[in-house]
Amino acid sequence: MAAVGSAASWLFRLRAAGAEGHWRRLCGAGLARGFLHPAATGKDAAQRRQVAHFTFQPDPEPREYGQTQKMNLFQSITSALDNSLAKDPTAVIFGEDVAFGGVFRCTVGLRDKYGKDRVFNTPLCEQGIVGFGIGIAVTGATAIAEIQFADYIFPAFDQIVNEAAKYRYRSGDLFNCGSLTIRSPWGCVGHGALYHSQSPEAFFAHCPGIKVVIPRSPFQAKGLLLSCIEDKNPCIFFEPKILYRAAVEQVPVEPYNIPLSQAEVIQEGRDVTLVAWGTQVHVIREVASMAKEKLGVSCEIIDLRTIIPWDVDTVCKSVIKTGRLLISHEAPLTGGFASEISSTIQEECFLNLEAPISRVCGYDTPFPHIFEPFYIPDKWKCYDALRKMINY
Amino acid sequence: MAVAIAAARVWRQSRILGQAALLLLLRRPGARGLAISHPHRQQEQQFSSLDDKPQFPGASAEFIDKLEFIQPNVISGIPIYRVMDRQGQIINPSEDPHLPKEKVLKFYKSMTLLNTMDRILYESQRQGRISFYMTNYGEEGTHVGSAAALDNTDLVFGQYREAGVLMYRDYPLELFMAQCYGNVSDLGKGRQMPVHYGCKERHFVTISSPLATQIPQAVGAAYAAKRANANRVVICYFGEGAASEGDAHAGFNFAATLECPIIFFCRNNGYAISTPTSEQYRGDGIAARGPGYGILSIRVDGNDVFAVYNATKEARRRAVAENQPFLIEAMTYRIGHHSTSDDSSAYRSVDEVNYWDKQDHPISRLRHYLLSQGWWDEEQEKAWRKQSRKKVMEAFEQAERKPKPNPNLLFSDVYQEMPSQLRKQQESLARHLQTYGEHYPLEHFDK
Repeated sequence: MAAVGSAASWLFRLRAAGAEGHWRRLCGAGLARGFLHPAATGKDAAQRRQVAHFTFQPDPEPREYGQTQKMNLFQSITSALDNSLAKDPTAVIFGEDVAFGGVFRCTVGLRDKYGKDRVFNTPLCEQGIVGFGIGIAVTGATAIAEIQFADYIFPAFDQIVNEAAKYRYRSGDLFNCGSLTIRSPWGCVGHGALYHSQSPEAFFAHCPGIKVVIPRSPFQAKGLLLSCIEDKNPCIFFEPKILYRAAVEQVPVEPYNIPLSQAEVIQEGRDVTLVAWGTQVHVIREVASMAKEKLGVSCEIIDLRTIIPWDVDTVCKSVIKTGRLLISHEAPLTGGFASEISSTIQEECFLNLEAPISRVCGYDTPFPHIFEPFYIPDKWKCYDALRKMINY
Repeated sequence: MAVAIAAARVWRQSRILGQAALLLLLRRPGARGLAISHPHRQQEQQFSSLDDKPQFPGASAEFIDKLEFIQPNVISGIPIYRVMDRQGQIINPSEDPHLPKEKVLKFYKSMTLLNTMDRILYESQRQGRISFYMTNYGEEGTHVGSAAALDNTDLVFGQYREAGVLMYRDYPLELFMAQCYGNVSDLGKGRQMPVHYGCKERHFVTISSPLATQIPQAVGAAYAAKRANANRVVICYFGEGAASEGDAHAGFNFAATLECPIIFFCRNNGYAISTPTSEQYRGDGIAARGPGYGILSIRVDGNDVFAVYNATKEARRRAVAENQPFLIEAMTYRIGHHSTSDDSSAYRSVDEVNYWDKQDHPISRLRHYLLSQGWWDEEQEKAWRKQSRKKVMEAFEQAERKPKPNPNLLFSDVYQEMPSQLRKQQESLARHLQTYGEHYPLEHFDK
């Protein structure tokens, strides 16, 4: 009895102190000290993980949409979803783990607010999630599906490409799944490696019938997502996961729309056109400042926003003016969407070009883990490509 | 006592309990030995490790201490529900649906009209008039029995061998033919291969070639119907081969977990093109998979139109009332080739096919029933054969004569609105045809 008592109280103290306390006590007792705290030698041997390769640049506070609130990217997504479910009684949100709020917190609070029949988990099956979403949309209800990581969208590729994209065309417009939107976290995150970093937009660019949209910021995300949800065609909305917390700006509380298939010239310039989407827009913004400062070069920066159908006219107009084009994306070079832009622009603007079109992209490898800093098309690679283009 | 309570608190936090303390707590009266007053503590009692029941969240089951693998029962599988024998006689009168004469005649006429249309369109492909065709020989009972048990507004997702459902819903011959010919009357605007029918008015979702893709879609549609309080069921047809696809597994699992009012109707016709069922699955067909997903399941004689009707009727009633899925596996036989691109004598014997055609055919079984009821006779049979053939031939000749749709329809409906880049491509084709039009079959197409 006494033994139990003392054992019990030891356990009690241990538990009460918490895990950290436990480790500290072990350390203090001299146990496993070397293991837990490798000796620091000279400069900080515990190598810190890289800081981000970009700096998020918020846009100026929007004035035309009423009251705004400071939101990060995932909060702006939640806001868009909240607005959608409020306006559209048929709208439902589903996918893996969305009920408790989602692994990136994009759906926090929505189940409590709108009910478990409207915000619910599905079994772990991407082809099921998208197929199910198509079915909801066929009845005319609004289906907002989440694929937990864009890297896992491939089981649903058949449903997206062979079914969703072709539903209206193949039925002669008797049926469609236009009220389907698929949202998915996208792009590099610093440590995601092969299966938490992919940017698969190029696979879908080859598929007439769907729209693919990628925002660069919270304000853009909310407006574009609302447009996707309301668009009468099935849309895929990729959310740059590295921006979920890192991107913070003022976002209107009320719903608003940013049009699809319209690129945005976010900075005008004379000498070279820089095109990117998602996180990479912030990289090329910095490249533009570097170019201005070091080379005296004036860059026009375009955020493509919609991958398909893409805004050929805006990019053409810009290249006709500048004569030089640099396109940059994290996805691998070969067959990446930059190749489509490059091919179209050289067809349309051949005589305006002063230099070959430059593509600064990921390498033709799977997305590596420890080598990420070397893999990504960072500002130095973009700057170097720009410099070569200027000196061509 | 104080030690016991302290021990209990410790146990709650750390789940570590010495033998002595365990005995201590068991000595108190009551199974769990703890004070029951506090609701928090009451909840914990469910997690008590004191009584020896499994606590795993993943299964609701008892322990067993004998090592035994569950034997899949394939020697004698799930029994096959039937109402009529092979001669069309009701076996158990209490299962007779007692359908009125007009309804049963509609069954018969739908099946035979489909059969007649199949013969003529199959032949028309052989003659190069249409590019492709798939017949429904032997499976007419599965279509008509199930369609008759549904409401007209119940949404149908099919695979490609369910034309009888449309026939039962009075889809006109003209439109069947229009789709096969891809002519100007085709509601599908000539975009798909023959037999890829669709009809919004009759709630029949347009067929697509990829197999089983319709299964999770049907589940989503059923979920939406449930949310809309529509009192509608969704029925989803597929073959035993398509049931091997991942989409089938996805659909079953979603339907059960999300409590959808859906009927999964599997036509098990023995073959997926040339692949017999022995190479398609090793378990007890498709019906046996249902319980694995938590789905109420039944196997029926697909060539017995009343059995199909009864099962579908009851499944519909309960699916809507209880918001849960049902799985019906209708056993049947594909008497025809897979399609006009197939010659099944390469992989099965003519004798086997003849057995089904002559001895166990849904149409003849129903005809025997009609004859024994005095609702049909040889004269009516002759007259109807002549009349149905005439109707089909007329529709056929009309369909042949009509032009194809305007080539501009190649470009529309990709999106709801035509993107500017696509419009440019459309204009580029128009310009191309101005110069090179003689090399294209423009004379057959609508101007």
